[in-house]
Amino acid sequence: MFASFRLSMTWVHTWFGLTLGYVLMACFFFGALSVFDREIDRWAIPESRFDPQPMPSFDEVLLPRFLAIEPDKESYKEAQKEVIGTLPPLASLRPSEFGAYTTHRDPVLGMYSSFDVPNKPRDPKLDHVHVYGDVTIDPRNGAPIPKDRYAIGSNFFYPLHFSLHFYWLDLGYWIVGLAALVMLVALISGVVIHRKIFREFFTFRSRKQIQRSALDLHNLTGVVALPFHFFFAFTGLVIFAGIYLPVTETLFHDTVEAYEKIEAEKSPLPHDAAGVAASLAPVDPMVEEAQRRWAARGMAGEVGYLTVTHYGDANGYVSVYRSGTDRVSGTGEGVHFRATDGAVLLEDPPATAVSGINNWLAGLHLQQFRHWTLRWLYVLGGLAGCACIATGFLFFVEKRKRQHAKSGSSGARWVDALAVAAVTGMLIATAAMLVGNRLLPETLPTRADWEQRIFWFAWLAALIHAAWRSAPVQSAMTSPAWREQCWALVVLCIAAPVLNWITTGDHLLRTLSEGYWPVAGFDLALLLTAATAFYAARRLRDTQRLVHSTTGQDQSEPAHA
Amino acid sequence: MSRAPDWIPIASRTCAALLGGYVFSWGFTAVVVALNVAAGGDYWEGLTLAYLLAFLVYVVVFLWAFADARLLRVWLILAGGGAAMIGIAWFITPALPALS
Repeated sequence: MFASFRLSMTWVHTWFGLTLGYVLMACFFFGALSVFDREIDRWAIPESRFDPQPMPSFDEVLLPRFLAIEPDKESYKEAQKEVIGTLPPLASLRPSEFGAYTTHRDPVLGMYSSFDVPNKPRDPKLDHVHVYGDVTIDPRNGAPIPKDRYAIGSNFFYPLHFSLHFYWLDLGYWIVGLAALVMLVALISGVVIHRKIFREFFTFRSRKQIQRSALDLHNLTGVVALPFHFFFAFTGLVIFAGIYLPVTETLFHDTVEAYEKIEAEKSPLPHDAAGVAASLAPVDPMVEEAQRRWAARGMAGEVGYLTVTHYGDANGYVSVYRSGTDRVSGTGEGVHFRATDGAVLLEDPPATAVSGINNWLAGLHLQQFRHWTLRWLYVLGGLAGCACIATGFLFFVEKRKRQHAKSGSSGARWVDALAVAAVTGMLIATAAMLVGNRLLPETLPTRADWEQRIFWFAWLAALIHAAWRSAPVQSAMTSPAWREQCWALVVLCIAAPVLNWITTGDHLLRTLSEGYWPVAGFDLALLLTAATAFYAARRLRDTQRLVHSTTGQDQSEPAHA
Repeated sequence: MSRAPDWIPIASRTCAALLGGYVFSWGFTAVVVALNVAAGGDYWEGLTLAYLLAFLVYVVVFLWAFADARLLRVWLILAGGGAAMIGIAWFITPALPALS
């Protein structure tokens, strides 16, 4: 079927890269944005523009806030679908679990609470169904941030890069997983295709025809960041392996159930509530004790994650986890206390070799630790991934469009239209959402939903525009959609920082002079995008003029080409 | 570019790589977990190890599915081998020593 190994790898690289490249664009781009998700949150939620804060006092600040969390209406509806019989009224539900998580980049603190329901789950494999509620607070005084303020970075861009916000049957995760697998496949097959990889690495023919420079840039961005691309696609798969290879819930279900029963009996942490009401001892001394124990082990640190399990019950316990600011492998070293008297029940043992490797790999992907240089390298790596995939599309189109123009095939045209939507269209959707975030009235009900709608409709509009304007590709010319969408991007990426200035007063001179980098950096990134889009639009116009002025020559060429 | 390959073998190869490769990786994960527990290891520890290896296995067999000239052999090893590994994992699971 394939004449050689290399040709088989070429086929795999071309066709799998083409079909899943569109998904990979979104994964790499929104993954790159996720590196600064919390900084984007600051831009989108002006109330939260202050310095990062440590975990506040549990007894004074957190507990009253935890108790004030109401069950989320959506979560209540979801739970109703999963249980037998009617749930008790929402207001009567009592919380059984609390949690709060923070990092060195968080001014505001995310808190959640989980509520018990008496109803049995429909799925016999489930133990319990819970209703959840959450709140984000200003840890300096405990004041809640209004619910409708949308953390665009950590609640929209970040989940988009691994779920596509397509949660039905977890299909978004599966599509992204397949794309990640194809990324690994494309990297290996790409290396096989380009045998002279090191010579090609130092080749860049920018002034030659587009097909050549697209291929050179494809090779350059693919090879220079190859370990980066491989690492992120691979660890992304491992992080969600439980979804992709669900052996625990299926083949080993009974085994694991029996195993967990034995483990639970051995563990000093009560698996179930006792059903006897009991009060919670002061938690701040427990936090101090946990910090004292970390310091005694030579790893003094801040609290990253704090939970209360079986709240208000005699079996309740408090878990305090050390933040991962100063190391790759996230939060850990949990110290667990009996809730009623603060006695230490358990100190987490050190990670075993395999879990240690796994935590390190996942930690390096999730990057919750402090390392600003590496953080920027991640952004560059992600953008290199986007450039690699986009130039792959361009090479595909440039290689075929003359041939397709002659044979009347429209393949290159549609690939080009989709590429426009995946490159400039994706950027337009992102910038439009930010503009919407600053323009929508503060009092608009379901404001966050409108921000999301703006994103998806802007992207859809860009796709329709790209398809509508793509006819010239059929005659082996460049689609004007590239240039037009670059201009749209220029307008949107200038509008966003200007609107930020008008609506919050935080213009660049102020944020830069105050050294408030979360907002200054994002404004600068938007302006840089506008400048790049401006340059691209001008170059595209010049190229087009050149083509028009040499059309006569072009037409005579095929005779001897 | 070489001549485009015929439609049916290429579809079959694509299915073998995607689905056959998936079954093979699934079976690999299951058998690593089962063998580890049978040898007295911790369930979650074995699962983590299996996950770390399973996607590398998937990528390798995926590429191999396109590289090997004999399509029938590809199907037999991926689907057959995957099913066999799931069978082995299922067979040794009830007798796991940690649960006795």
